Amino acid sequence: MASLPPSLTRLIAALSHLPGVGPRSAERLALHLVQGEPGGVKELARAIVEARETVRNCSTCGALTETDPCELCRDDRRDRALICVVERPVDILLVEKAGVFRGRFHVLGGKLSPLNGVEPEDLRIAELERRVGPEGIREVILALPTDVEGDATCHYLAQRLREVGIQVTRLAHGLPAGSGLEYADELTLTRALEGRSSVL
Amino acid sequence: MHLAQLRLRDFRNYARLDVDLTPGFHLLLGGNAQGKTNILEAIYLLATLRSFRGVGGAQMIRHDHRGYFVGATVVGEGTHAVKMYWSPKERRLTLNGDPVRRLGDYLGVLRVVVFCTEDLQLVKGAAGQRRRFLNLLLAQTHPAYLTMLQRYARAVRSRNALLRQRPLDETALESFSREVVGTGTEITRLRHELIPRISPLARLAYRRISNDAEELKLEYRPSVRADFAAELARVRTRELNYRTTLVGPHRDDLDLTLDRKPASQFGSEGQKRSLAVALKMAQAEYVTGLRGAPPILLIDDVMGELDAKRRAGLLPLLERSHQASGQVFMTCTEENWPHELGRRLQRWEVVSGTLNRVADGAAAPA
Repeated sequence: MASLPPSLTRLIAALSHLPGVGPRSAERLALHLVQGEPGGVKELARAIVEARETVRNCSTCGALTETDPCELCRDDRRDRALICVVERPVDILLVEKAGVFRGRFHVLGGKLSPLNGVEPEDLRIAELERRVGPEGIREVILALPTDVEGDATCHYLAQRLREVGIQVTRLAHGLPAGSGLEYADELTLTRALEGRSSVL
Repeated sequence: MHLAQLRLRDFRNYARLDVDLTPGFHLLLGGNAQGKTNILEAIYLLATLRSFRGVGGAQMIRHDHRGYFVGATVVGEGTHAVKMYWSPKERRLTLNGDPVRRLGDYLGVLRVVVFCTEDLQLVKGAAGQRRRFLNLLLAQTHPAYLTMLQRYARAVRSRNALLRQRPLDETALESFSREVVGTGTEITRLRHELIPRISPLARLAYRRISNDAEELKLEYRPSVRADFAAELARVRTRELNYRTTLVGPHRDDLDLTLDRKPASQFGSEGQKRSLAVALKMAQAEYVTGLRGAPPILLIDDVMGELDAKRRAGLLPLLERSHQASGQVFMTCTEENWPHELGRRLQRWEVVSGTLNRVADGAAAPA
């Protein structure tokens, strides 16, 4: 029985390790690459290697950057007294898209999860504590997920930071803006009801 | 609420089944191992995504086939098409042609209550059986309950994982305890509210079925009596030894007493069976009361276990639920059903994975 050339098999194996790529897609991508324009493939390979070599985590906030410290950390127009704590680097982009937060960020790199063996030492909590003292921070805003682990992590951080004596807040739970009640699930509605506010 | 159509492919011993159904009382007749219960199992599966026989998906696939399909047209608040395909490699669930993303959107489209021999475990079995009964009832009537229960279970498992670690991380433990206390308190509160509502329904159903004078009482026995956080603090040393969460709704029970004596210890077999049926009847009535439309009743082999007097007591209850445009499916090995059951009885003969309508003229003689 005829089989694929060994180098192609290796390429398929490597591609199938990418997130969201199963064996079928890996095979399709590999066949596309080996039969495509050589220049295009070289360009792709170069882009991959270059991106991997130049992109790293900012040593201060943990964001993805080519320069250390990152642009956000160097930007003097941003409020030094506010830090927004997020789980993953990509969450920074989500908050930035809203365009209303003018402070700085801190990437935690995960959330506490005893079931998956993620302990406080595995997160960038010590780094956060180190920043809180010297940078003159007034408020830490927690923008973490609202699942069990996210909520527990918020509480954990609030406990740790309480000793330093700064304000720790977290994002509100509530209705999605600009939509009707039908788009909120029951738990969201319950929490939104609990966190209701006076109109006038 | 009723099924207008049921379709099976490679499900248990059914290679292919397409059947149109009407509201009313359906009697599934046939010998052993012909596939009567499989029909009930398929309907229950569509409603809850589980088998009431407590088996996984692989066991419901027809022997030597790749996967099963179960589909139905449900007429309730509007008409819905539900379809489910299951194989070891692929699961698909659609509601009106669209893939179901959140279970909360799906559960509730089809509501059923099943009566089967395993119900006896509600009375005789461990507390977990009764907790599952309460959970199912609350999930059917309180939309946020399932999410809360899942959160609670995850928080307790996380907390247990922390309790097993040495050295103990006090702050992390407290963070997860807080979540356990928050959702746990809410679950306890909802269970507290539920019991007084179903208790009179169960008592009434029991009295009708048993024709006896004993007084049935349902009493909630929460693991947490007052302040969850305080009780957690109180068992702290023990928790550190046992390395697991010792108080909380995952340790609740429901006491069933007949004339103030625990039914599991002092009840006769007949009383226990009547009690199990009464609990299920209460579930059906409670759901009907809240939702307006009665759930579909699936009755498997329960009648054979009740004596004539008790069956005669159950009869009017079942009749009532199929009158309000509801639907009842009942399996029977032989036609030993009391004939006074309504004239509009639809009989089906089940023979090795086929379903044949028995002509109306042959309905139970008066």
